[in-house]
Amino acid sequence: MTTTIAQTTQVYQVFIKASADQIWEAITKPEWTARYFHGARITVTPDHYDSRSADGDVWGDSAVEVFDPPRKLVHGWRSLYDPELAAEDESRVTWEIEEDESGVCLLTVTHDRLEGAPKTAVGVSGAGWTGVISALKTLLETGEPLYG
Amino acid sequence: MVTYDPDVTDDDQVFKALADPTRRHLLDRLFERDGRTLTELESELEMTRFGVMKHLRVLEDAGLVVTRRQGREKLHFLNLVPIRLIHDRWIDKYAERQVSALSELKTRLEGRR
Repeated sequence: MTTTIAQTTQVYQVFIKASADQIWEAITKPEWTARYFHGARITVTPDHYDSRSADGDVWGDSAVEVFDPPRKLVHGWRSLYDPELAAEDESRVTWEIEEDESGVCLLTVTHDRLEGAPKTAVGVSGAGWTGVISALKTLLETGEPLYG
Repeated sequence: MVTYDPDVTDDDQVFKALADPTRRHLLDRLFERDGRTLTELESELEMTRFGVMKHLRVLEDAGLVVTRRQGREKLHFLNLVPIRLIHDRWIDKYAERQVSALSELKTRLEGRR
């Protein structure tokens, strides 16, 4: 297997059998994120994205660019739990939720502006975002966390 | 536009899309670097433009490739979530059973001593 440089724009997409409102809740409220996002307690308000460990350590603290419930959320991304990652440039995460008539949503997560954050780009690629999104889908569709 | 056909499961389409060496090759090219146009992808493959389009379409239908418009260009991105879902649904499950069977065997053999 050849090594590869992680992409500076990463796109992740999945259908979730849940309403747009449910998905919005699940990505903006800490009691939900704690169950699928590596235990992170994430609170998103119209102007602020705050991510904390169960012990209250600050894992993420960024501005919110777009807060349009339950359709679109855009916020900054900087991993503060690791000094090397924290030293990199801030990147950007966009969540887009499209609902169809049958109550199924297409969720698209785009992580871009990773040019100045190569280690972050590697960290979130592959098992990173796919694991989070797969766990989010399982949680919303079955009511049970994927792991644990 | 969101289209979701409940009669065709996501897994069916992903397995079908992966059951072709050309499409797996295309995925490997996109894994190396994605966000590419049809013309860029075509230039790296020994295949007609129509052939590449056809295979990209199957990958897109399975959700393995997501396209984005950027100005006049259509860029193709690799979407790894469907493969992850297959992994979680199929690989993990069977690998886990194998591991537990092995540990059970070990316990039994050791218990016999």
